[in-house]
Amino acid sequence: MSFSWKNIKRRTNLLIGSALVMFVAGMAVFAPLLAPYHPTEDANILYSEEPPCEQFWFGTDIQGRDILSRVIYGSRISLSVGLFTQFMNSVIGIFMGLMAGYFGKWIDDLIMSITNILLSIPTLVFALAVMALMGPGLINVFIALGVTNWSYTCRLTRSQVLSAKRLNYVMAARALGYGKFRIMFNQILPNIMGPILVISTLGVAGAILLEAALSFLGLGVQPPTPSWGGMLAGAREKLFTAPWISIYPGMAIFLTVLGLNLFGDGLRDLLDPHITQQK
Amino acid sequence: MKRMGLGLVVLALVLGFYSADALAVRNGGTFQWIAPYGISIDTLDPAATSDDKNILVILNIHRGLFGWDAKNSTYKLDLAESMTADDDGLTYVIKLKDAKFHNGRTITADDVIYSYNRLADPKKSFASSHLLVEIDGAQAYLDGKADHISGLEKIDDKTVRIKFRNPVDPGFQLWRYGTAIVPKEAAENEDFGSNPIGCGPFKLQKWTKGVEIVLVKNPEFYEPRKPYLDKLIYKIMADAAARDMAFQAGELDANLLYAAQYEKFKNDPKLSKHMMEVPEMFTRAVRFNPNFTLADGRKPFSDKRVRQAVNYAINRELIVEKYAKGKAYPARGFLAPTTPGFDPDCMSYEYNPEKAKQLMKEAGYAKGFDLTVIAGTSTAYGAGVVEAATPFLKEIGIKVTIDKMENAVLYQKYSDGEFDAAIASHSSGPDPISIMYRFHSNSPRFKQRGETSQKIDSFEQIIDLAAATRDPAMRLELVKIANDILTEEAVLWFYNYNKAVIAYQPWVHDMEPVGVEMMYQHMDNVWVDETSPRANQK
Amino acid sequence: MFAFIIRRILQFIPTVIGISFIMFVLLNVLPGSAALMTGGKEILSPEIVKKLEKKWGLDKPFHVRYLNYMVGLAKGDLGTSFIRGDKVRDIIGNRLWPTLKLAVAALAIACFIGIPLGFYSAVKQGTWVDTVTMVGAVSGVSMPQFWSALLLMYLFSVVLRWLPTFGYGNGDLKNLILPAVTLGIGYMALLARTTRAAVVEVLSQDYIRTAHAKGLSVLFINGKHVFRNTMVLILTTIGMQFGSLMGETVVVETVFSWPGIGSLMVDSIFLRDTPVTQGCIMLIIFVFMSVNLSVDILYSVVDPRIRYD
Repeated sequence: MSFSWKNIKRRTNLLIGSALVMFVAGMAVFAPLLAPYHPTEDANILYSEEPPCEQFWFGTDIQGRDILSRVIYGSRISLSVGLFTQFMNSVIGIFMGLMAGYFGKWIDDLIMSITNILLSIPTLVFALAVMALMGPGLINVFIALGVTNWSYTCRLTRSQVLSAKRLNYVMAARALGYGKFRIMFNQILPNIMGPILVISTLGVAGAILLEAALSFLGLGVQPPTPSWGGMLAGAREKLFTAPWISIYPGMAIFLTVLGLNLFGDGLRDLLDPHITQQK
Repeated sequence: MKRMGLGLVVLALVLGFYSADALAVRNGGTFQWIAPYGISIDTLDPAATSDDKNILVILNIHRGLFGWDAKNSTYKLDLAESMTADDDGLTYVIKLKDAKFHNGRTITADDVIYSYNRLADPKKSFASSHLLVEIDGAQAYLDGKADHISGLEKIDDKTVRIKFRNPVDPGFQLWRYGTAIVPKEAAENEDFGSNPIGCGPFKLQKWTKGVEIVLVKNPEFYEPRKPYLDKLIYKIMADAAARDMAFQAGELDANLLYAAQYEKFKNDPKLSKHMMEVPEMFTRAVRFNPNFTLADGRKPFSDKRVRQAVNYAINRELIVEKYAKGKAYPARGFLAPTTPGFDPDCMSYEYNPEKAKQLMKEAGYAKGFDLTVIAGTSTAYGAGVVEAATPFLKEIGIKVTIDKMENAVLYQKYSDGEFDAAIASHSSGPDPISIMYRFHSNSPRFKQRGETSQKIDSFEQIIDLAAATRDPAMRLELVKIANDILTEEAVLWFYNYNKAVIAYQPWVHDMEPVGVEMMYQHMDNVWVDETSPRANQK
Repeated sequence: MFAFIIRRILQFIPTVIGISFIMFVLLNVLPGSAALMTGGKEILSPEIVKKLEKKWGLDKPFHVRYLNYMVGLAKGDLGTSFIRGDKVRDIIGNRLWPTLKLAVAALAIACFIGIPLGFYSAVKQGTWVDTVTMVGAVSGVSMPQFWSALLLMYLFSVVLRWLPTFGYGNGDLKNLILPAVTLGIGYMALLARTTRAAVVEVLSQDYIRTAHAKGLSVLFINGKHVFRNTMVLILTTIGMQFGSLMGETVVVETVFSWPGIGSLMVDSIFLRDTPVTQGCIMLIIFVFMSVNLSVDILYSVVDPRIRYD
């Protein structure tokens, strides 16, 4: 395979992507060192909604808190929420999709019915019910959403498997008498990983924005803890009067998702033997 | 002489302006107005709802015996031509105006009796049925113990006698729009909520569910010349930012402002000219649960000094200015400035952290305690306000945790009394006595909340006395005292009274600030001049 | 094939039963009550709440309510709204057409721009076109809908005054444009990205490279082989998105005052108006399953290698 430094360097995508992801991750890890203020304790309502200035680079929010500090600290919640739920979604979704696509018949029917059911229950109802049953808390909600939002990945995987199943390499593997699971995970999965990786990285943005919607309704992270989504949602009516309140957390989400996408693309290209040969 | 001449000229000018204004009332035109509370209007049956989002439309289709006089902040006669009281203070004889329903039929005393009996019908369980409980026999009918309301009697076609169970002011009981008079021939239909027939200034022309309600002028309205508008369209628009855009684009004739927009409008010399604001009868406040118990068994909120300390500790003026962007009036006590009986010189709490610390120390909480406050999603009276108050409470040692939740859960918790402290908007008018009664241990609310209010004997004596007093001036004096007792007892953390603000286009005239609820706009008073883009639109 | 369709349609039945049961359970455990919500800002007294709940049959035990609902459903009766008092069928019926119109328009915008864009950037892999598309797609996905909605509204309605700011109008096209574009942006981004990924995948397969070797024109290869092979993926994406295009449109619907199912459903959840919530979900699942059945059938049309046996 082609894990050489030369190849990696050629993939600028991967470089920029990992730089961005590492930057955001670093922000999360070193938040206390980086943030000029405390995200919740240093609230001074006298400085409510100050535009960006020397003292507050990103301005302040309605409570007079430094937005830069809140964006930095917010990365902890948003990143963990986004990555965690999307990881669970992907793992479950890929497994179920492989099963449904490869085995077909009643397994397919069953899994498709489950995804139908899951897709039709509004996320909101589900989040509310989880809160009622398992008690409040961000972790509960996201475990729940991680376990129920895999239908999309599942269906995508299934459709890919349906196409791939009859391709030469799978036929060959079958002829060689490989085990079903070996074919599924070793032969098919690496070859269909591209689209799955793409929707998984985009899904992180979805999860972060979903957290926004939920915390707006009091179902996500509780105030005053900062999260990018929560910061965005709270500033909805102020898009024109105090745009800095929503622009910076919005940018943070954008850069994170961009980084993950570049990273995902680059990783895919790196792992794909065909492309490196072509170039 | 010269000076006098000038004075006369000025006087003439002033008079001229006034009379010109009065004369210039213009008929015709279409008014694009909003229904801002939620994504739909649910029903136009006045009995079936007590939700403002529906009532703001209902009040322009339906009318009752009494109505609301926004200017003087009291009730007025509406369908009632006159009202005379009997000596017992319980019975009133009401004469009806010559008025017709939208279907052309003349309103008689039978319609009044029918409408009230319909409203209280136990089989129908209408949301507004509680409005009638003060009428003699209404409770028995509501409870299914009688087959009609015994306190209503027809004298002749135009006259009806109403008997109350207590010496109450009938107008304060019956001005609410839920008690509107409806025609039996239409109200018995299943779809009355969608095809209402009333006697108000406008009648329903077209209702596109979830989109808009189009009302047209009722030419036979009982008030002469009114309404001035040919057509009134309620656009259902729940999103404040979108409404702001539509108003800027001239697609709306008036708009209800939110805090973010208020600041912008107020600071704009042009826009601020066409704006009106009023203290609404909603007191935003934090409720304390006296049963809230600390780990060591002490109950901080059962101690008046702790509640007072909270009131001294938080700088409400600053929060109103900075957080609410000036779109509120810092609260002095429970009653709102537009509520009868409000005393501008009443006692109130100033921001005094030293005194607050002192009180906490005296009460034995020098080290403070941890407190969870439940809050809803509203910007004006939800979690954001608690967040703003948190640093102030930290100063006196109260460490606040916010538990934010959606409204349905919040209401359930209010109703069950399941909270240590809760922020809410409390209705604080227009009838001071009935609204303050919630703090009386005999009130159903008080009992319902599992004793989450403190029983205050002196307050109960005064409010009972006020209720029994028939001299209006004396009543109001007692109301003031009762209100002061509530303030002194610090039954709530008094935060603010809502400042409701409507901005209107320059061509709009005679909208009124309404203290009960700003969106209760009587559109029969409103007219548009010819500069309106919709001045001649039918 | 025919047997497959029959099997799928029969599969609708247990799915509907499953959904309705799960929904019934979930909505049942939610704290709060519709009766408390009828009062608006005022908290109603317990007597009224009790009366209202009795009127709506909420005093009956869970299984009785569920059975009643299912019997009604079998007869095509979706029940009556607690708070609105109207038949759920009518409430939803009023909103069905606007919902479908918005969903289809948004999807059309997403497809017509997203698919060619994804295709193009896959062929031009690694060039600046590819990079710009990627950045655009990522911003499309990470941009909160209320941003795009308000910015579009500001530009086209307030500044330029070309389009109305809000509302359904009389179903005019000019009312549809802004909401459809807003809704379409996110899906367009997703489609562009998935298309690109699929095309890249296919382009790297052996048979395509064989085709190259044989000297077939690039256009022909792109047109026929690649498009066919990526259609499966694109169809899946479209099919999946149709559900969320109908149900998760609450922001767009609220900002533009569009009378759709999404905002109705969210509103009814908050008001605990269970029959309406359930009706909305039934409708969404019905449309969703039909669309996905068509997608499954189309799979085998566009990609003959897929067979259902």
